[in-house]
Amino acid sequence: MTNAPSETPTNDPATVTAVQAEHFNAWYGDFQALHDISLDIPQNRVTAFIGPSGCGKSTFLRWINRMNDTVAIAHAGGTLRMGETDLLSPRTDVVDLRRRIGIVFQKPNPFPKSIFENVAFGPKLHMRLSRRELEELVEWSLRKAAVWNEVKDRLNGPAFGLSGGQQQRLCIARAIATGPEVLLMDEPCSALDPASTLAIEDLIFELREQYTIVIVTHNMQQASRCSDQTAFFFEGKLIEVGSTTQVFTKPKNKQTEDYVSGKFG
Amino acid sequence: MNDIQVPMVDPGRAKQRHTISKLFRMACMLVAVQAVVILVILLSTIFFRGIDHLSWSFITGVHRDDNPDGSGLWPAIIGSIVICAICGLAALPIGIGTAIFLEEFKPKHWLLRVFHNLVQLNITNLAGVPSIVYGILGVTTFVYMFGLIESYEANKAPSIEFGARRYYQVRTAAKTFVWLPVEDKTIRLLEINDPIEAMYPNGQSFMLNVINRGDPKPDDAELLGQTVYRGSKGSIFSKHPWYYLRLPFHKSVLSAGLTLALVVLPIVIISSQEAIRAVPDTMRDAGLGLGCTRWQMVRTIILPASIPGIMTGAILAMSRAVGEAAPLLAVMGGIVSKRTGPENLMDNAAAMPITIYKWARDDNPGFWELSASAIIVLLCLLLTMNSFAILLRYWAEKKFTAN
Repeated sequence: MTNAPSETPTNDPATVTAVQAEHFNAWYGDFQALHDISLDIPQNRVTAFIGPSGCGKSTFLRWINRMNDTVAIAHAGGTLRMGETDLLSPRTDVVDLRRRIGIVFQKPNPFPKSIFENVAFGPKLHMRLSRRELEELVEWSLRKAAVWNEVKDRLNGPAFGLSGGQQQRLCIARAIATGPEVLLMDEPCSALDPASTLAIEDLIFELREQYTIVIVTHNMQQASRCSDQTAFFFEGKLIEVGSTTQVFTKPKNKQTEDYVSGKFG
Repeated sequence: MNDIQVPMVDPGRAKQRHTISKLFRMACMLVAVQAVVILVILLSTIFFRGIDHLSWSFITGVHRDDNPDGSGLWPAIIGSIVICAICGLAALPIGIGTAIFLEEFKPKHWLLRVFHNLVQLNITNLAGVPSIVYGILGVTTFVYMFGLIESYEANKAPSIEFGARRYYQVRTAAKTFVWLPVEDKTIRLLEINDPIEAMYPNGQSFMLNVINRGDPKPDDAELLGQTVYRGSKGSIFSKHPWYYLRLPFHKSVLSAGLTLALVVLPIVIISSQEAIRAVPDTMRDAGLGLGCTRWQMVRTIILPASIPGIMTGAILAMSRAVGEAAPLLAVMGGIVSKRTGPENLMDNAAAMPITIYKWARDDNPGFWELSASAIIVLLCLLLTMNSFAILLRYWAEKKFTAN
């Protein structure tokens, strides 16, 4: 794969902010997981969250589409907005929010259903489609997720029959079938082999033309290969954020430098 | 810091460890074997005592007081099945619903969380309550309804009822019977003096032709069948469809089924909870991440994935219900000499465990062996149900381990 670090600077005036956090704090019970995070996630760009385990990057990701609502003791303060939508307001319809902000998890988690049914699951929840429209949408999503050619002859076969990498791309297809604006990816490649990882990274690079992508990763190379902007988290604080090229070549902060150069973490 | 030498391994210690391990393994085996041996002795005793009387006519026959050889189990089998069906219809929706609430709708507010925990704690404790306690509970709740409603007496019309149709039966001059609709069910005998509307048992209605005693009978056969003498009396009787209901339920299969539902409810809830908990959280995340509401997630992901496990638990609970005697004795009494199954929900019924209990302690020794035969039938039913549960579990495991 030849995705050199993108030359697109994040301070490009053409970039629009998709998701914006201002003085965002998050807690699990009494434990404060995130401290005063202020961060702009630009539209149609890939933003990578890096940092050692337990630094709060996944927590932040799961707050963007309110997946943390399932955790009884989780609560948050500050501002987190997507366009005009206040992501933290109790009045926000989380069901529609999660349609607009898709998420892909660490471990591929297809439903124990057929490949077709997996992709059709989201659209069936939110839209009223004829069989034909549904079939078109499923094919479009699978093509978009670069897995169509591998599954087109076995759409009615079980999703569990696919390899890990194929399953993960199926999950991406499933996420984009509901027509999201933002795609969150929580370490999408950590359970995959190098070849599948590369395929997913390719895919991420292509998907950014249509979606705003936020990817959490432990893999420095991955962040440098496929992201435009990188945010470094450490112990619940946002240490540094900047264009990926800058963060990896000329980090401003000593901790960031140590982390990206592999001295700790 | 000084370096120390790691001490030599003592070969005696190793040998001793292996010996203890072997002894423990043998002790475990012994315990397991003795459990099986006792079971085999029990079952084979029953089998050899009961096999002689086991025949098709035993299964399809009815109880005869003085004739053990001609007696059969049919009304008890039907009774058990009906009670078990009522129990299942009551316990499964409530039990599975409760399990879904406890597992998938954990509240966030502290007060609701206290309630949630209280329910959970109660259910765990209720699973250990002896079934006779539920029997007494069933008697007060379903049979007498805490005495809040006027008590029901046999052969009297209950004050609150639904579905019963009552008629007066009158003999015509043709010595056939016709029916008159009942307006006031407290009048048990109706004297007929004037022509009123009546009907044949097939439902066709006509006007009664009333003549005085001593008057000449009509010649026409049809008219004769519609003619009664002035002053003849019609006595009340009632027809009860299967859905006939009265309050309180009194000693009925409905009371018995609901009481058994109480007995098995904790089992259904706990096993359903375990089945639901076995669905991996990644499935919940996937559903919620796509924008499911909680209920959509439960309906489209959790229930399809956990239904084999839930059904396994349900079948095991039902097989517990089929074998329960104590709550039935408390609620319906020891009924054996029914000639049919229950005719409606308010009818009482014989049931297999009670028939076994009654036969085993009958004065007539002929019934003792019959009791063993009935146990074989009951055990066969239980084994069938349990093996069905095992098949379901096997199928469910195969479905889950595919990932």
